[in-house]
Amino acid sequence: MTIPEVPPVVELRGVHAAYGDIEVLHGIDLTVPAGSVVALLGPNGAGKTTTMKIVSGLLRPTAGHLRFSGRDVTGITAVEAAGLGVCSIPEGRGVFANLTVRENLWVSAGERASLDDMEEVAYARFPRLKERRSQLAGSLSGGEQQMLALSRALGTNPAVLLLDELSMGLAPMVVSEMYEVVAGLAAEGVSILLAEQFARIVLPLADQAVLMVNGHAVRTGPPAEIEEELSTTYLGG
Amino acid sequence: MTTFLTYTALGLVLGAVYAIAASGLVLTYNTSGIFNFAHGAQAMIGAFTYYQLDVAWDLPAGVALVVVLGVLGPAMGWIQHALIMRGLRDTEQITRIVVTVAIMLGLVALAQWLWDPQEARIPGMLFGVDRTVTVLGVVLRYHEVLCLVIAVALAVGLRVLFNRSRLGVLMRATVDDPDLLSLAGHDPDRVSARAWMLGSTLAVLAGVLITPVIGGPLEANALTLLVVDAFAAALFGRLKSIPLTFLGAIVLGLMNSYLVAYAPSEWTWVGNLRQSLAMIVLFAILILLRHERLRGTATRSRERYEVPTVRRAVVWGGVFVLAVLAFRQIIDPSSVGVLQLGIAFAVIALSQTLLTGYAGELNLAPLAFSAIATLVAFHAGIQGEGLDARMSVGGLVAGVVAAAVTGAIVAVPALRLRGLYLALATLAFGVFVSSMILRDIQEHTLFGKTFAIFPNGNLLFPRLAIGPVDLADDDVFLMVTAVLFAVLGVGLVALRNSGYGRRLAAMKDSPAASAMLGQRLLRLKLTVFALSTAIAGLGGILMSMGLRSVTKEHFVFTMSLSLVMLAVIGGIGYVSGALFGGLIAGAGLTAIVTLLSDTATEHPQFEESLGLVSHIILVGAGLAGIGIAQNPSGILHDVFAAQRRLAKAPEIRYGALAVQCVLYALAWFDVLGTGTFVLLSLVLWLSLPSIGAALRPEKVSGGSARPVPPELIGIDSDYPPGLADRLDEQLGVNALRDRRGVSHAGA
Amino acid sequence: MPVLETQGVSVRFGGNVALRDVSLTIEPGRVTGLIGPNGAGKTTMFNCVTGMQTVASGRVVFDGRDITGLGPGGRARLGMARTFQRLELFLSLSVRDNIRVAGDIVRANTRHRIDVEAETDRVLELAGLADIAGENVAEIPTGRARVVEVARALMTRPKLLLLDEPASGQTEQESERFADLLRELAADGIAVCLVEHDLPLVMSLCSTIHVLDHGTLIASGTAAEVQRSPEVIAAYIGTEAVA
Repeated sequence: MTIPEVPPVVELRGVHAAYGDIEVLHGIDLTVPAGSVVALLGPNGAGKTTTMKIVSGLLRPTAGHLRFSGRDVTGITAVEAAGLGVCSIPEGRGVFANLTVRENLWVSAGERASLDDMEEVAYARFPRLKERRSQLAGSLSGGEQQMLALSRALGTNPAVLLLDELSMGLAPMVVSEMYEVVAGLAAEGVSILLAEQFARIVLPLADQAVLMVNGHAVRTGPPAEIEEELSTTYLGG
Repeated sequence: MTTFLTYTALGLVLGAVYAIAASGLVLTYNTSGIFNFAHGAQAMIGAFTYYQLDVAWDLPAGVALVVVLGVLGPAMGWIQHALIMRGLRDTEQITRIVVTVAIMLGLVALAQWLWDPQEARIPGMLFGVDRTVTVLGVVLRYHEVLCLVIAVALAVGLRVLFNRSRLGVLMRATVDDPDLLSLAGHDPDRVSARAWMLGSTLAVLAGVLITPVIGGPLEANALTLLVVDAFAAALFGRLKSIPLTFLGAIVLGLMNSYLVAYAPSEWTWVGNLRQSLAMIVLFAILILLRHERLRGTATRSRERYEVPTVRRAVVWGGVFVLAVLAFRQIIDPSSVGVLQLGIAFAVIALSQTLLTGYAGELNLAPLAFSAIATLVAFHAGIQGEGLDARMSVGGLVAGVVAAAVTGAIVAVPALRLRGLYLALATLAFGVFVSSMILRDIQEHTLFGKTFAIFPNGNLLFPRLAIGPVDLADDDVFLMVTAVLFAVLGVGLVALRNSGYGRRLAAMKDSPAASAMLGQRLLRLKLTVFALSTAIAGLGGILMSMGLRSVTKEHFVFTMSLSLVMLAVIGGIGYVSGALFGGLIAGAGLTAIVTLLSDTATEHPQFEESLGLVSHIILVGAGLAGIGIAQNPSGILHDVFAAQRRLAKAPEIRYGALAVQCVLYALAWFDVLGTGTFVLLSLVLWLSLPSIGAALRPEKVSGGSARPVPPELIGIDSDYPPGLADRLDEQLGVNALRDRRGVSHAGA
Repeated sequence: MPVLETQGVSVRFGGNVALRDVSLTIEPGRVTGLIGPNGAGKTTMFNCVTGMQTVASGRVVFDGRDITGLGPGGRARLGMARTFQRLELFLSLSVRDNIRVAGDIVRANTRHRIDVEAETDRVLELAGLADIAGENVAEIPTGRARVVEVARALMTRPKLLLLDEPASGQTEQESERFADLLRELAADGIAVCLVEHDLPLVMSLCSTIHVLDHGTLIASGTAAEVQRSPEVIAAYIGTEAVA
């Protein structure tokens, strides 16, 4: 085994995580090489979301290490991770429901982008958001909310993008539109870690897939290899 | 017409000040989830400081304003945020409430120390009283106009802040989803620190403005109560909406003003009604609020309480009675009353053990129920005249029942709501009792009967006589109180160990799971509330009988809050926590302050420093509550845990018992003073675990260490390369390495 | 006759439809599974059945009686019991007292002189918890804590037992033993219904499975039927060809 010259953007080594007394990750190893797209697959409750929380800094591992570009950052906070260029779009609602579209973009803007930049990028990619810029995000449709959430990634030029269940509750049309945007970001060289239940949608996009079951990463490999195991893992028998 | 307009204008001015105060409260509650009971106290500190700077030190008003609004306000908010945020995660509502209550009590004690309450301080209006404007025939002073202008500016300003400024948007985002905010790179903690600073500054602003509007001198307690008006206004907006809060504040201000203008002059109680108006409104809103959906909430809070067995409780009850008896022998007869008062307070505090410790419900005004019981017993139960007057058993029972019924009535509207609302409802009731019922000292005629609820503001409360047992004797009365406390304490422990007690614990831990097992939550809450207020009533009657003469000051709501706080500091889940709280609130503080002032009289050269010490103790007692965040189960919990470690070394305990006997003998022969005896005894028992650990380390410390789990045995011993290689060999790792051409661990 | 029947239940949160016209039945003496991808509306459905969520339209019928307007407590007193996804144990009580208090509640409600002690012992034995009866419930592992919740529910002698993700946090061994317990309960005539992520467990345990997706019931049937359903496969794994 040779050590790659460019260290992976994100690396998890033997990470355990727990909510209170309930351990949900039992030693995860995971690598996101620079500029690649890694898909975390697996049924509900496998620990995908928890893994994302670890990388985004929302949850501290109870054991193991987290490294960003070779640097040990175990125990990093979400604010610090965001400052290092980790953009995380959490499961379900990645938007502030009681803020307007524009205010949501305002919160996303920071040292990495001004509000004007954010608006420009977001409205150019999703013209529907422009029409609704003074509406509360909570009143948007599921797809529009997800567009708004993705705008944060578009505008802030992140080093790593974490996407948790982008497709959740969305119609297939909208899902594929979302993943077009993601593919665009990947083409720009953003490293992406995404967790997804709709395996088949993301497999063409991914350079590598990791299959998770019950808090373990059971298989890691090229998407095509993993695909064969999906049906069995998800539906049993 | 001009009268109407004048009173409308004055009502609006008052409403404007309420609005300023209330918006600060809403701001902090929404950004941190902590309801700041100290908000009014911060307003009070601001008002006093402003007075000090402007009047006493004669600084220009502008400079004084800049100092209080620019420095004091933000600083108080920042400090409070730093103190609170550090410790309050994963704690129960009672702990959160107690911490801000403690800040409030500490600030009140501080104000009374820095600014002698005997001295009248009448702050002038900003710009003086002479500069006026006349609108539609209504003459308004500049100060009053300023209040209106500030309120309007604030309404607009908060709107701009929240909708047009980045900080405001971040504050709203914090309320919405703090986790998401941190993912976006903003620290929710820092955002809410800003909100606290702004909230505290608004409190200070309201404090500076209000006293000249209401008139009269600055008064620490009254200003602290400003928070209650702010509570009521904030509740209009369900503690969330700023516009509705402003509306509520204006409604309150106008009601207040019209009451003064149009109530018939023979209604002597209107003055009192004005004081409790906010409370009545608050209560009404609580009744109207929609109740919340039941949802799962069982998270593990940091509070822990062990439940003793009944047998153990009986033993300790006996020990307690004997200890009181023994202690009585060595104290001055004049101190018997103080001790009795302390135990009576402990009985009142027991109501909190049951209600909060066992059932998880809140009551911030136990003494209000004590007052109700006292009043009913007084009116219903006195037999005989003058020195021969005695309380009858019937009177006592009537008082206790009245407290229970009142408790149930007060609880009904708030029981469907969360703990905080119940706390507010009881606080409202406490203030209502203090400012309305206990001030009703003049006679009325109703249905042909002439009476006063609280005749002359001073009740001469006789003691109980049951057949041949007459409690007029102080010693007998002390022992009866002690026995009653012991019996009630054992009773509570037995209750906690019964099916009823388990149902209370279940409701406290998870209302949702409890309901899904078929528990009728409302009924259970009502019974426990009634039972608890009955205990508070009984304690109140014991207190009144002990004092023989009670005034409204004995039931003042700050005393209730101190008692609740001290019981929580001791350990709200323990009968002994109630004893701790009661003894300190009822006897300890009095005893210490008396001791200090006696010493000062004897040694005048120390007078100043001793006075300082006694003030520090009073402020510190308030601030001690803040420490509860570090140790939410109470001090006694740790004391018990430490004592349990001595179980394996009984010889240490016997030794300590022998030392205690010697101390007692010394006190008996007056070698030791009572204070020294108490102090040395406390030191003895509190340091016993450390003494034990020093003398018998193998038994005391060894017993407490956790056994090493099998998988970790040997993990801290040396791990030589040879061993690593052998392990790798056995685990088949080396074979793997060979295949990949990696060198072995031992190599 | 089914123990529970929902008729056209719909729930809206704001503008979003969480459940759309869901009609399903739960039969006594069987284990029924309720599955679906994340956000499909399983928990909402559960809350509708237990009375923790009010329905926008439709009816919930329990044991032949319309209980749509009844609260959680009322439904419990009629013979419905549930467990919680995020464990709702009484954390200040021991394992034994967690179970015993359910008996205390039943006794307080019915004024029947049931022997709570004996009943508690029986349930502890049945659920295989006797060895940890004296331990504080906050200290035991999740897998066993889930069993404590079931045991507690059993104290109320329910006709319908609803389990919200009972297997999560259990080891494989624990979940096997757990499955046996559920089969036993069903054999005793209780209607057992579970929402569960562990699909292999659901497939092996449940005789009827309802599948929700986007708030709609997309399939009902045996494990084999459900596994073959193209809608179910699409809901879980997604489809390659998206129009």
